[in-house]
Amino acid sequence: MRPIMKSLMCRSLIVALMTLSFQTARAGMIGADQVAASVQPDRTAVLSVLSRADTMAQLRAQGIDPAMARERVAAMTDEEVQALAANIETAPAGGVSTAAGVLAVVVVAALVWYFAFRK
Amino acid sequence: MADLRALRVGLRARRRAGICCLLLALAGCAQLVPQTMALRTGWPAGVARQVELASVPFFPQSQYQCGPAALATLLNHAGVKITPEALVDQVYLPARQGSLQAEMLAAPRRYSQVSYLLAPRYDDLLREVAAGNPVLVLQDIGPLMTQWHYAVVAGFDYPAGELHLRSGTRKSEALPFTLFERTWMKSGYWAMVVVPPDRIPATATEARWLAAVMAMERTGDREAATLAYAATLKRWPGNLPASIGLANQYHAAGALKEAEAVLREASARHPGSTVVLNNLAQNLSDQGRQQEALAQIDQALQAQGPFAAEVRETRRLILQRLAAQRPQGAPARPGSK
Repeated sequence: MRPIMKSLMCRSLIVALMTLSFQTARAGMIGADQVAASVQPDRTAVLSVLSRADTMAQLRAQGIDPAMARERVAAMTDEEVQALAANIETAPAGGVSTAAGVLAVVVVAALVWYFAFRK
Repeated sequence: MADLRALRVGLRARRRAGICCLLLALAGCAQLVPQTMALRTGWPAGVARQVELASVPFFPQSQYQCGPAALATLLNHAGVKITPEALVDQVYLPARQGSLQAEMLAAPRRYSQVSYLLAPRYDDLLREVAAGNPVLVLQDIGPLMTQWHYAVVAGFDYPAGELHLRSGTRKSEALPFTLFERTWMKSGYWAMVVVPPDRIPATATEARWLAAVMAMERTGDREAATLAYAATLKRWPGNLPASIGLANQYHAAGALKEAEAVLREASARHPGSTVVLNNLAQNLSDQGRQQEALAQIDQALQAQGPFAAEVRETRRLILQRLAAQRPQGAPARPGSK
């Protein structure tokens, strides 16, 4: 099956499962997170399942192994995952130790000079 | 004589023009570093003007790995013995050659520490450092292009006009307040602290601390979650989710009496709360006290609050257990259906 079809089917199945499972309540302790939850807990939960799968896939695409990707996403809240899924490519990634801007300026200037002034 | 007077007038005019230019430039500068300017007239109340957190460790970073180094600094200060290398797997993204902010916030939770995102204000950063909490910040240190960098503020000297950072390969980098603000504002004044579960940050608000605790509960251990909820309740005794969270932790650990005590206290503060009544009923039922449990769950039904389905399910369970307790053939009690 083509990867896109497979992904689409997976998402539809997940949504279907989540919709069905919210029909039944259980006995037992109600959780603190349910007390503090926003107005539409069902919808938020569905969105977060999809966002987590999305973010995991994106982390794997960025070079993280699947098991580690799952653990890293598991430690994030629903809001964090949803925000990250939307902009993982462009979100700031802190890493440099010293500013390398001066070198860049020199290189750019050299290139400009070369292309502008060569015969 | 006239010439001399003319000269003096000329000089005075030029000086006035010079002062005007300087004032205009300063006004422009003030726009560049608004929060530093605000500190001049509004230093946060109760915060010392010179603070040095000598006990904050230093981990020199290797290339692109200021994230793991900065996080290791905060985690070690909070009591978790860990090296930057061990954190690389959790916060470093090879394809981006750096670490994402969301992951910096998430990683400490796996070590049962609470990570708390500060409000985007200089005041709050200074207040946290003065309270003994080093602050991890995201800066843009590139002079031309954007270059993101994580560093840890471990002290400041306002009379000298400098902050002291653990940054890159420098154990104590002194940055003027103005320059620091220029690099820090690019990230939206992003700053976080990492604290042990029973140590609430100095600038924490009730709602955001609770959210941070619940986030830690996802992957932290039971003991840490218990400590964190207990600390929350101690500081904000009326916080309902914290009561529920604490009671649930006790309950899950088998400490049913302790859970009951927390829930009774909560029911005194929040009479008619369906959640408290439901959980108290469940707790009593688990202790084998079915009649008392039934009384609580019937109150919950009467309250007609949210979680009606859960309440009905809990009631069904209690009735099942009551029926199981009854010897065979004995008549059913009236009203127990």
